[in-house]
Amino acid sequence: VPSITLNGRSVDIPDHLENITLLDFIRDHIGLKGTKFGCGIGLCGACTVHVDGVAQRSCLTQVVDVAGQGITTIEGLAVTAPGAGLHPVQEAWLEISVPQCGYCQAGQIMSAAALLAKTPNPSTSQIKQQMNGNLCRCGTYGRIQKAITIAAGNPYYE
Amino acid sequence: MSDHKKPSGVTRRTFLRRTGWAAVGLTAIAVVGYPYVGTAMPALPSFSNPQIGDGWAWIQMLPDGRIRFYCPRMEMGQGANLGLAQIVAEELNVGQNDIECLLPDTSQTAVFKATVGSESIVKFFQPVSLAAARLREELRLRAARQARVKLAEVKDRDGGFILPGAVNITYGDLVQKTAIVLPEPSSDSAMPMQYALRDAQARQTIGQRWRHPDLHGIVTGTQVYSRDVVVPDMVYGRVMRPPKIGARIVKIDTSRAEPLPDLIKIVEDKAQNFIGFVCDNPFILDEVAEAIEVTWHSNEDVFPADRETAEMLRETNAFPHVVASNGEAVDESGEGEISVSGAYFTPPAAHTAMEPRAGVVSVSNGKAEVWCGSQDSFFVQQRVAKAIGFKNDAVNVHSLRMGGGFGGRLACWASEDAAVLSNAVQRPVRVQWSREDEQQHNYFQPPFSHFIDARVDSAGIITRWNHDCVSAPIITGPFSFMGMPLADTVTSVVDWIGPDKGTMRGIVSPYAMPNHRIRFAPARTGIPVGAFRGLGAAPNSFAIESMIDELAFAAKIDPLKFRLDNLSRSNARLAAALKRVSDMADWGSDLPGNTGRGIACAIYKDMTYVAVIADIYIDHDAQTISATNIWCAQDCGLIINPDQVENLVSGNLIWGCSMAFKEKMTFANGIAQEDNFHSYEILRHGEAPAMHVSLIDSQAIATGVGEAAFGPVAPAIANAIFNATGRRIRNLPINYEDVAGT
Repeated sequence: VPSITLNGRSVDIPDHLENITLLDFIRDHIGLKGTKFGCGIGLCGACTVHVDGVAQRSCLTQVVDVAGQGITTIEGLAVTAPGAGLHPVQEAWLEISVPQCGYCQAGQIMSAAALLAKTPNPSTSQIKQQMNGNLCRCGTYGRIQKAITIAAGNPYYE
Repeated sequence: MSDHKKPSGVTRRTFLRRTGWAAVGLTAIAVVGYPYVGTAMPALPSFSNPQIGDGWAWIQMLPDGRIRFYCPRMEMGQGANLGLAQIVAEELNVGQNDIECLLPDTSQTAVFKATVGSESIVKFFQPVSLAAARLREELRLRAARQARVKLAEVKDRDGGFILPGAVNITYGDLVQKTAIVLPEPSSDSAMPMQYALRDAQARQTIGQRWRHPDLHGIVTGTQVYSRDVVVPDMVYGRVMRPPKIGARIVKIDTSRAEPLPDLIKIVEDKAQNFIGFVCDNPFILDEVAEAIEVTWHSNEDVFPADRETAEMLRETNAFPHVVASNGEAVDESGEGEISVSGAYFTPPAAHTAMEPRAGVVSVSNGKAEVWCGSQDSFFVQQRVAKAIGFKNDAVNVHSLRMGGGFGGRLACWASEDAAVLSNAVQRPVRVQWSREDEQQHNYFQPPFSHFIDARVDSAGIITRWNHDCVSAPIITGPFSFMGMPLADTVTSVVDWIGPDKGTMRGIVSPYAMPNHRIRFAPARTGIPVGAFRGLGAAPNSFAIESMIDELAFAAKIDPLKFRLDNLSRSNARLAAALKRVSDMADWGSDLPGNTGRGIACAIYKDMTYVAVIADIYIDHDAQTISATNIWCAQDCGLIINPDQVENLVSGNLIWGCSMAFKEKMTFANGIAQEDNFHSYEILRHGEAPAMHVSLIDSQAIATGVGEAAFGPVAPAIANAIFNATGRRIRNLPINYEDVAGT
């Protein structure tokens, strides 16, 4: 039986769910609701998760295509960073109260964490480029970009 | 609607039972103040303002000394419930951990006004502050009685009082484990002192940067939105909505769908134009929908109230409403006067809240429980009740944090659909909209056409201002599509009575203009229109502030000075905002090549004063044009939570950039052509300007901030483009080709 590792736990993919998206699998089969549906066609980034550490749009990913891989969602992000408490990106988000409605923020945080994992000290243009696929209708872009800079200053990234 | 005042659905007994606190605690219950909408009346959004006494029922002292606040405002990211909780805390001398703020179910409070129009602070400050202050004084009285001391000897202390002899008494000590219901105050009751209105130095909570309690759940993925609701035994439904505005069902063929596994029921009601179905699992919904063949028909071509319509009305001079006039606006040109004319156009726009709406409804035993995120839970309650033929009080709406609202969430059709399906299967049903549903089946910001003829004299004073506007009625618009088609005879009467106040928001400019005439022609359209962030404020600001810039240029006067010279004397606060923003941006300083700078200002709903400067940069290599920096000075009176206000102002600036460069809905034959984010683009990270926000220190009444700073952004950008290129931008959105094309 194919399976994925979701936030550190192995989860089987039942036969009848082999044609569904990773997003539907996470939300409606597993019941983790932190990963959001925004557009369904990979244009808004609300559904961003990590697949083996790389940011990926779960609404465009068939669950069987990531069989055998490690998936991290917003609920599992904190444990990917050593130490108690939240992930440095989540800490930074709270420090400057980034969210307004908050609906897109799980995707924003997952994209930001993936960026910092690869590029611990990103330039402004790298931040803008990496985050460009994550839409926020409330317009929190300024705070998001600032929070990424704050998180990059966390000792975790040194 | 009847003016008759009757209790609106919540009796004291049902309140006590439903809120589950009847056994313990101290509160005040009042069921007053709102016109009752009977079941025979059409469902309407709740538009009545709160009365000063309404707050009694919103605040409850728990036996542990904590405070529960049934916040009479819905939450969509604007943080109104945080600001109002800070007001409660200020009155009761408690900290953030001592106050629990709830979004009430419809059974937990009397009807309160729809959460629209940036009114949560300006209209609810007083009722909330007064109620909390009264509760505090009631507790003080209890402390005095219990300790057998004089009332004046009971002094304030955090979370309670201090008695003679330095004896502390907490609120919890004063609230026994029995229900105490405070009587509604009579009109001659003494008004308690409102700590929220004290001098700035004396205030403890107002002005503090409290963090919204939902933020932890948001960054960890545990905050529940309506799409995330799960209830036991829940099944999954979908309703097939008309593919084209106004289409009706002709024929339904379900033969291919019926054998599909996990399909529970198909629900058809041609008379109601309803075809939906319920499945045992959510993964089969698409397959079932594809297997049901529905033939739709529509007679009418849906016409948009577009520029051509507006130009036709202009040609026939068909402007029934004079919104404002003074002096002789249509006179011949005077000596030394320069005339300038401009036609400005803004297209229809979509809200595109990031969360497509959803509802879960459980109908059983003649009752309905609804979970949804809406700007007006009571409106949802009425509409769900009508959809399934229940009385309003048989429907309870649980209010969830919305993933964005922006005026687009007064109704929740997903909940109505879920209610019909749940009623058919007597199990809880979840219905979720797709992005495409949001783009096709919601209501929209209407297009606006403006024609302005103005003149300026040699001293740079505006001498004439003739402004004609054509757009669709916004506030009276929704009725036609929210299940109540209005006959042409009715709409013509509605439109005859007066210009739509929502469409006309901000149409009267802050400038003196001794001779002016502003007219409006309502152009009803087949496209459903309704509340959208700021209503008419931003489209109207775009026209006015663009023309002001054109006049300043014609008079060869600096656009900042021109504005200051022409502002009405009563608009000192706007002048102060203009001066502040010009200092921030170093107005008049040299700019690099391919860069331009523009300025604009506006007063939002006669309460919030905003001035904006924008820098734009034209990249001829990449063939792009973008805003690089936006400065904003805003005077919104007393600031409850500066962090929240700064965040909202920045969001408005982004929205304004998005309006300027991106957003446009088009409809072909009643079908939305922009059905997702590839075709309906909104501003992205990479396009966001650096933002510089300054809030003007003020002790004036706290005013609305959720929509105020949006309006001046697009004209400031358009004026910046003129500054850089000499090309006037009179149509939005702005393309590189409009700026650099031949």
